[in-house]
Amino acid sequence: MTAFFIRRIFQMIIVVLVSAVASYALLNLAPGGPLAGLRQQQQNDRFRITEEDIARIRAYFELDLYLPYRFTRWLIGEPRGPLVIGGQEYFSDLIVGCRKPVETESLNQETGEFETRVTGCNEYVQLKDLEGRRTSRGILLGDFGLSWRILRDRPVADLLLSRLPKTLQLIGLSTFLSLLIGIPLGVYSAVRQYSRFDYIFTTLAFIGSAMPTFFFGILMIIFFSLVPKEAGLPYIPAGLSESVRDYTIPLIGDVEAGSFKDRVLHILLPASVLTIVSISAYSRFVRASMLEVMRQDYVRTARAKGLSERIVILKHALRNALIPFITIVVFTLPGLFAGAIITESIFAWPGMGRLYLLALGDYDYPVAMSIFFILAILTVIATLLRDFLYTLADPRIRLS
Amino acid sequence: MTVAQVANLSAEAISIEERSPLQIILMRFRRHRLAMVSLILMIFIFTITVFAPVIAPFEVQELSVNKYFVPWGTVDEETGRVHHMGTDHIGRDYFSRLIYAGRISLTVALISVLISETIGIVIGAVSGFFGGWIDSVLMRFVEFMLTIPTLPLLLIISAMLLRDENLIPIPESILTFMGNLLLLTPRDARSAVLIILILAGFGWLNAAQLMRGMVLSLREQTFVEASRSLGASNFRIITRDMIPNAMAPIIVDASLGLAGYIVGEAALAFLGFGIQDPIPTWGNMLAASQQFMLDRPWLPLVPGLPIFICSLAFNYIGDGLRDALDPRLKL
Repeated sequence: MTAFFIRRIFQMIIVVLVSAVASYALLNLAPGGPLAGLRQQQQNDRFRITEEDIARIRAYFELDLYLPYRFTRWLIGEPRGPLVIGGQEYFSDLIVGCRKPVETESLNQETGEFETRVTGCNEYVQLKDLEGRRTSRGILLGDFGLSWRILRDRPVADLLLSRLPKTLQLIGLSTFLSLLIGIPLGVYSAVRQYSRFDYIFTTLAFIGSAMPTFFFGILMIIFFSLVPKEAGLPYIPAGLSESVRDYTIPLIGDVEAGSFKDRVLHILLPASVLTIVSISAYSRFVRASMLEVMRQDYVRTARAKGLSERIVILKHALRNALIPFITIVVFTLPGLFAGAIITESIFAWPGMGRLYLLALGDYDYPVAMSIFFILAILTVIATLLRDFLYTLADPRIRLS
Repeated sequence: MTVAQVANLSAEAISIEERSPLQIILMRFRRHRLAMVSLILMIFIFTITVFAPVIAPFEVQELSVNKYFVPWGTVDEETGRVHHMGTDHIGRDYFSRLIYAGRISLTVALISVLISETIGIVIGAVSGFFGGWIDSVLMRFVEFMLTIPTLPLLLIISAMLLRDENLIPIPESILTFMGNLLLLTPRDARSAVLIILILAGFGWLNAAQLMRGMVLSLREQTFVEASRSLGASNFRIITRDMIPNAMAPIIVDASLGLAGYIVGEAALAFLGFGIQDPIPTWGNMLAASQQFMLDRPWLPLVPGLPIFICSLAFNYIGDGLRDALDPRLKL
């Protein structure tokens, strides 16, 4: 058992490192990036951008450093400057980047397009130049660096922390509700297999799992917000997590912006979308698992002993049927953090999912990379947690 | 009645009509009524999209100036063509765009399924057949990829790929082929090819797991042993014995995969990381309609319903195929 966990933790470290490299490489290997718009602006005479400006901006985004150095600075905050051993500086002349690359344009004969290629370097960056430059302490040590665009020059951690509560509220509420409703529905449907309830339920759950979230969200807005509002009926506000100004809803009355009532009304629609979608997934899973367990010998034995049906189902069948459910519940952990990207973007819910989308669209790489990196770590932790919980729930499973 | 006559009679009486495996499968599939309805519906939708240039009254990019959001059935005065579903916010015919969008969405989904199932079959078969460290490395990778939330990963990759068009070199012949298929210029077809690569690149995991499981159980079968004792090579055993026998779950997976890809492609386009606007897809039409929802609450239904219907139909077809091909698979 101990050996197993040591090995797994070792594997975890490797996976985390690999996903760090992957998430960094994904966004940084591609050309373009934050400098993409600058060259177009250069055409304009009033805001002429000099070569010096570009060098400064490149330094700001650390684009003047070679990729391996950029990566280690992002990962562990090193190198910060020359290596100092016993008061003596080493490697201070080591070239770590290029401040002013030489770019030559050539005409591609085949496509007839101009191609810009970096052919040399006018001014190199040396290790000693890094001294005094601002850097994060490294993402592995919990410092996510500074945001580039969304909240310029503010720590990414602040941005994440400001969004996290909203996501936890939304995903926490909907996960809780969908487990609370989904499990009993699945159990009931399995116990009454082939009944009318089961038939209606399986059909609805089937449709629910085929329904794309983005379309479902829009349908909810149409039917519960737009149309009733137009018709002067009580409606549910859609968009944002709380209103900007006070409003009045027929029958419900005046709602003060930012009040508890306001926030409850705003979470209603996104939470129901997420809840209904997960209910159909969870309950289908529970139903299938229950049906399988109910065929087992030990359930028949329990019945033969004369136990009441209630105890047979709840104690003997359900407990075992829920074991594979551990996987699903544990993997809501990364979801709790990442949020529901689609639902949050439809309802303009200011959570992590929307932040991730904004960061990707805005080239705010430090934010996007941090979210993706944390997501990978949480996924790894969830895997470990799942294996551990399985051994607790099912003594037959041995970790080795 | 002579003895011979009696013998004949009873032989006739007890023999049942002979059916080929295909006939049995078809019969079982036909019993699943919703799957049949879905199949007919999908064939109908496919036919419409195949004949898109014939059916659509307008060109995809054709603008009718000053005619924004005209009501359904408006007749274009100059040419006498009908805007069956009106026009969109910059005066393009909605109905024509919907059909062309369907052609793109369905083709992207179909090709993604073909590619991802092929990758899945090959990797699953290799992993299951050879076992050992290849198997454990491949399956660890598959397991890890399956646990990572898909959407963030798809988004980060399409954000990267779509930002720079020439990041991945794609042979001109493929672009021209896809362009002809989707009725786009090769340049526009690039984003469709990229989306296919992204979707298929993450879609093969399930198929690989299924295939590996099937190969593991088939490996112990006597007909494989017989094949090997006759001197068949590994390649021949895999391609002739394993893959044909493991097709049932793969076909079911492919049909469910089609539903997944249609929704996935639409989701990426909806979030702005898929095929972009001048090229119509159901996803980006839905995203565009969201801006005008306040004034026209019913507008999103037009591009949204086809996505939902296709997703539901392919799910039902998958369900029916599962019943027909392998009743044991049923949950």
